[in-house]
Amino acid sequence: MIDIKQTFQRFRRTPAFVGFTLFMAVLILNIIVQGPGQFFSTRSINTLFSKNMPLLLTTMAMAPLLISGVLDISIGIQLALVNVVSIMSYQEWGVSLYVGFLLGILASLAVSALCWVLVSVLRLPGMLASFSLIYIVQGINVLIMDKPQGSIPREFYKTYDSLIGGIVPFSALFLIVVLGIWLYLMRTKFGRNIYAVGGNPRNAFAAGINPAWVQFQAFMIKGTITGLAGICLTLMTASGNPLQGEAYGLRALSACIIGGLGFGGWGSMGCAIFGAGFLVMIQNTVYYFFNLLYRLIPGFQVTSYWQNLVSDIIIFFGLLMTIVTAREQREALKQGFVEQFTGGARDAA
Amino acid sequence: MFAMRGIDKRYDAVIACQDAALQVEPGEIRALLGSNGSGKSTMVKILAGTVKPNDGQILIDDEPVTINSGRDSRQLGIATAYQDLSLIPTMTVLDNILLGNEPQGKWGMVDRQKSLDDVTALLDKFHLDCDPDAYVQTLMPSVQSMIEVAKAVFLHPRLLLLDEVTAALHSDEVELVFNVLREVKAQGTAVIYVTHRMSEIFEICDTATIMRSGRTVAHARIDELSLDDIVFHLTGQRPDTETLHEVETFEHDGRDLILDVEHLQLYPKVRDVSFKAYKGEIVGIGGLEGQGQPEFIRTLLGVTQPDGGTIRYMDAPADFRSPADAVRQGIGFISGERNREAMFPDRSVGENIFAGDAAKGALFTFLTARTVRDFAQDAVDKYDIVVGSVDHPASSLSGGNQQKLVVARWIAMAPNLLLLDDPTKGVDIHSRREIHKILRQCAEDGMTVILSSSESEELLDIADRIYLFYEGRVSGMLSGASKTPERLVAAMMGMTRENNGAAREAQSA
Repeated sequence: MIDIKQTFQRFRRTPAFVGFTLFMAVLILNIIVQGPGQFFSTRSINTLFSKNMPLLLTTMAMAPLLISGVLDISIGIQLALVNVVSIMSYQEWGVSLYVGFLLGILASLAVSALCWVLVSVLRLPGMLASFSLIYIVQGINVLIMDKPQGSIPREFYKTYDSLIGGIVPFSALFLIVVLGIWLYLMRTKFGRNIYAVGGNPRNAFAAGINPAWVQFQAFMIKGTITGLAGICLTLMTASGNPLQGEAYGLRALSACIIGGLGFGGWGSMGCAIFGAGFLVMIQNTVYYFFNLLYRLIPGFQVTSYWQNLVSDIIIFFGLLMTIVTAREQREALKQGFVEQFTGGARDAA
Repeated sequence: MFAMRGIDKRYDAVIACQDAALQVEPGEIRALLGSNGSGKSTMVKILAGTVKPNDGQILIDDEPVTINSGRDSRQLGIATAYQDLSLIPTMTVLDNILLGNEPQGKWGMVDRQKSLDDVTALLDKFHLDCDPDAYVQTLMPSVQSMIEVAKAVFLHPRLLLLDEVTAALHSDEVELVFNVLREVKAQGTAVIYVTHRMSEIFEICDTATIMRSGRTVAHARIDELSLDDIVFHLTGQRPDTETLHEVETFEHDGRDLILDVEHLQLYPKVRDVSFKAYKGEIVGIGGLEGQGQPEFIRTLLGVTQPDGGTIRYMDAPADFRSPADAVRQGIGFISGERNREAMFPDRSVGENIFAGDAAKGALFTFLTARTVRDFAQDAVDKYDIVVGSVDHPASSLSGGNQQKLVVARWIAMAPNLLLLDDPTKGVDIHSRREIHKILRQCAEDGMTVILSSSESEELLDIADRIYLFYEGRVSGMLSGASKTPERLVAAMMGMTRENNGAAREAQSA
């Protein structure tokens, strides 16, 4: 009994606690609004995973960057890059779609390396450098695929939407694989170095760590996970679109911050997962809540923009709560935002 | 054996080290001593790999080596603990101690059990009762300092560098650190120990190297040195502690009390400071670097709120929430950190001078370019600032003229009380004299000036009275006949009756 209490006390102090609480609250709310019977049906859970895996993975890709003190908001449009590279190489060159996916991941790694050069080597402010990258990547996308087109074989998207053994959603495999690799990495030296570099690059350097190299590793992990997110997006939409997904970048960033990640050295992958889960569950809950209203109030009919308004207001309060509850984190977060815009503050620190 | 020879280090025109030398044998604890800007920190940083010397040799066992980074330094068996800590506050105690030195387990993973065992044993050695999984930022400053030392010791270095690590520690914690030092010394580790506490030197060190103005002026065994010798080498002055402990009775000729500070506290830097300033006098604040002077001045200005004590300004409690409050009440502030705290380098000279006056006016006051120009031209003529034109950017001026510009900005506003934090840092001798002349003139006109300086000569030159800070307390107040270099040195070194007694006792033991 004491052990459980101690474990809970320890968990309370971890950065993921606020995100976890928010996530659990919305999850319970969702179950109530949707009705437990409906929520726990395998079909509903499968849809939940398959429709939201791109956002979840994008958020998980952002986490290692934030931990090591850098940032890339062009991550959303990079999903479209993976999408167009996979589809076009499959369609134009006639290679297998597996090879297409591999090329997609390589493209995402290449863009990540470019972003690393801009942010870690040339020391440009992360927010601004990656903002400009959005338009560069968009241009590349349109060069590769000038208008939405293409399709993927039926067995691919059928598999993506299927349940393994009738229980586990296939899309959840992506989450399990990424999480498994991440948990392994966290137990290696890299797992320590990434926090040290994010927490204080100068002291990390004094301890014999090369901050730029650690940030490069973080960017490569981000590139790989982004690639997987892009594959999920392709499997989900089953077609190509060079201009989709841009919003994922900022949504992933807000999910990270709601989950409790700070700019540099604070937070964990758990924060990212709970943060993304919170965003997803809010939208889900609001959707079912409005459905409930339609049924309860005869003649009540509004556009879906109202749903977005309500869910975004709740997300805003979630952000506010994260920042207000983590008092000591507030200053660091503020400082981090300034750094990502100015770039110079990091050198002065 | 570790040796540094002929070390030169220059930052532009400023010379940090000149032909400096240092040598330490295995199993020896060597004190590295020096006052402000003597170059002792530079020597430590060169060995730690964070500063590269312009010239000179580093020898290990008579083999020349180069240290280009923290990694090089570590690989040569050198570990460093700093006063301002190299810990990463958002990581746990365990991760901090093991950073860069994690025990390897299976499949490239860190061996968690061995980590925990090692760190627990280490924490026990330092009698630290803290959870290895606690985040460092949640711990007390003194515990953080202990962990900083523990982290360096854990590397089992051949050379251990300790840079004023005991500054934040209590006396029983210092004793624990000393026990560990004796242990590593017995194991044959060489130790370089930087401190300004004289009593500690006599207690733990075998030998001493003393630096002054970037040069090494003495190498000796501790038992061959007296306290007075050390202070003489440090400052070029024999200390005079004779009348320091006597209560100073200062004749203020019935002048108005402008600033009255009682028992001010600001953890952890300012512990107990009582301070008075009267109308029309120049009060100096001196002492070694990092004894709480900048924190004290910024608290007066309302940058930070005190943790205890009272400040009365012009016979009313001063509870400034921000510097803007203080400025509205007629307080001016000039910082030596020109680029960070005082200048707008890309704006014109005129705008820079006018900035202070602009801050006082209402937000939407109508302002013509002519107003700014005339105001600035007046100041430029009056204070003899060499400018091409008041329209040129402030960055076109030399360092000395830039500082005069900042002084002019504030004096043009005619504050009642002017605070200066090391205003002549890196300023040429001519401009410095000019600034002193301006301040003297202002004081005669009734302005109260409080000037903190890292240079004793400057304080003796210009200040009517001098408060000396030592470890967040006032260790002496000099005025009139007691304003001698010898007494200033004694107070600067914290040689008050109690401290001095302890040091002498340690020396004779």
